[in-house]
Amino acid sequence: MKILIVEDEPKTGDYLKQGLTEAGFTVDLARDGVDGLHLALTENHDLAILDVMLPGIDGWGVLAGIRRAGKDMPVMFLTARDAVDDRVKGLELGADDYLLKPFAFSELLARVRTLLRRGGKPSSDPFLHAADLELDLMRRRVSRAGQRIDLTAKEFALLELLLRRQGEVLPRSLIASQVWDMNFDSDTNVIEVAMRRLRAKVDDAFEPKLIRTVRGMGYVLETPCTA
Amino acid sequence: MHRLNGFSLTRRLTLMFVGMGTAVLLGLGWVVSNSVEKHFEALDMEVLAGKMELIAQALQRVGAASDLTQLSHQLARSLIGHHGLEVLLLDADKAVIFATANASFDPAMVAAQATQRPGQPALWQLADQTYRGMAQQIPTAALDAKGHRALVIVAAAIHIGHHQAYMRGFLQTLWLFVAGAAVLMALLGWWSVRRALQPLRAMRDQAQVVTAQQLNHRVSLQRMPVELAELAQSLNDMLARLEEAFKRLSDFSSDIAHELRTPVSNLMTQTQVALSQPRAADDYRQVLESNAEELERMARMIADMLLLAKADNGLVVPNREPVDLAAEVQALFDYYEAVAEEKGLHLRQSGSASVQADRLMLRRAVGNLLSNAIRHATPGTVVQVWLTQSESGAALSVDNTGDTIAPELLERIFDRFFRVDPARQRSSEGTGLGLAITRSIVVAHGGQIAATSHDGLTTLTMRLPHPAP
Repeated sequence: MKILIVEDEPKTGDYLKQGLTEAGFTVDLARDGVDGLHLALTENHDLAILDVMLPGIDGWGVLAGIRRAGKDMPVMFLTARDAVDDRVKGLELGADDYLLKPFAFSELLARVRTLLRRGGKPSSDPFLHAADLELDLMRRRVSRAGQRIDLTAKEFALLELLLRRQGEVLPRSLIASQVWDMNFDSDTNVIEVAMRRLRAKVDDAFEPKLIRTVRGMGYVLETPCTA
Repeated sequence: MHRLNGFSLTRRLTLMFVGMGTAVLLGLGWVVSNSVEKHFEALDMEVLAGKMELIAQALQRVGAASDLTQLSHQLARSLIGHHGLEVLLLDADKAVIFATANASFDPAMVAAQATQRPGQPALWQLADQTYRGMAQQIPTAALDAKGHRALVIVAAAIHIGHHQAYMRGFLQTLWLFVAGAAVLMALLGWWSVRRALQPLRAMRDQAQVVTAQQLNHRVSLQRMPVELAELAQSLNDMLARLEEAFKRLSDFSSDIAHELRTPVSNLMTQTQVALSQPRAADDYRQVLESNAEELERMARMIADMLLLAKADNGLVVPNREPVDLAAEVQALFDYYEAVAEEKGLHLRQSGSASVQADRLMLRRAVGNLLSNAIRHATPGTVVQVWLTQSESGAALSVDNTGDTIAPELLERIFDRFFRVDPARQRSSEGTGLGLAITRSIVVAHGGQIAATSHDGLTTLTMRLPHPAP
């Protein structure tokens, strides 16, 4: 998967490139709008991340250029300006997502993956697996090592999210929004508690542990490589 | 001060004062001089009428033309001693029958006066003297050629030079007096207006003292006239509001500095200590993880403060849609359920209500109320949400059992960074902005928020009005 980043702030650009490269993407980085548009038109990217305020051509201009050339890859905007007008303008011009600085890298990564997955077909397999954990979407049942585990509806939804996005670090804000439809940062440790309770049911009595806390970033469900 | 429309109040009032005073004096002068004039005329006419009567009686006795000579002597005798009185007798052909020394009036004029306005006062000019006269046709006992009684035109006039001299003097004095009075009134008016406006100047002087550093200054209401007391009170109220807003602003700035200083200094110390000597990879990871947590908190605080700043400037505009509050509360209960259970709390709601509101904002506002109630509730108690709908709008209350909040602190719990217990400051959870955000959202919807706390039961209530159609 190839991603184009157009960002003039040197540190931000470098860290985004490093972070996304380490997450397994191929990354092109442009420092201004002119280079960015040139790269976007000459190379084939699966996704573009544009800063709004850019020297040369601004983010809107780059997006307009990309769309004029008939390219329909998803585009995500980064901006420090918290104006509703910006959001509306971006969406009108055909942007797919919008992230306000300062943002957490885990949030950016999660959204990038969401955008890239959007085109793909949802799996028709009614079972989700990780190690010996199995989630039956049809019958709303969870079992591990053959043992039935009782989960509340929200716990089920939480586990489903973690399983669907195995190996991805999911930030708290994304979890709150996907599982509970809460699009604000609560000042309570709601997600921690919910996660603790889920782990008590799914992980505590079993090995290997599947759900892991990544401090400062979020939570991830993955099967440890040590087989 | 605008020179054009800022015509001095003192000058304006003084001019009005002088103008009105002069007009009144002039009117009075006109009335007085007019009535003196009338009085003189009446006196003159009385004298003239008396003479006319005398002459008429004498003429009654004239039976033949020859008697006229005798009459002349008689008249000349009887008129002696009447200084300034002139008499002229004309026959039907306007020939002079008798005339006193100065009675050289134009016979045609006299005859016209006698026929057109008999017995009425008239002013006759002779040389440079003015006379008041009257003329009349008086019948004699003699008969003319046609057998009618012959008519004689009699004119009597009195010299009124001394009256005129008197009137001239009177008018002159009047003019002088009015002019003097006008000047005096100007001075007195200016002085009294200045004196009357003294409190206004005092107010100005006091207002000039007010600066950003001295917003606590107030205009003294003592010895302030009623008319100005209201203005001064409004000024004081305005100053109070300004001071309040200014204080909030500077409190907010210093709060931000304070709230950000601690995490920034933590980050700096931690990072610098970590860098001071080589460490194992795990140690570096720990430092970075801790930094990430701290930074995430700061980012959240910045986002919250931005929202509050926008709300303060009226930039938060709710995108209204019908919202079922009971459903929203249920969704939030699902969200907070795990946390509540950990504390052994029961979440309950009763009633129902619906409003026109921005769903996302409202969810956040109610969520903050709930998380606040859960945080401060005594374990094992109930957090209760009450919904009520009324004509004017909807109300949502959240009850929790816990410590009673002192009345003086109650109104401050919606302030930014306010914590009832300062020792809880910067606990790992919360930026101290939750309730402030709730209030901003409620205010943006045109609603109100209030808190009560009695006997360990604390209730926060938000009221949302129906939006104006």
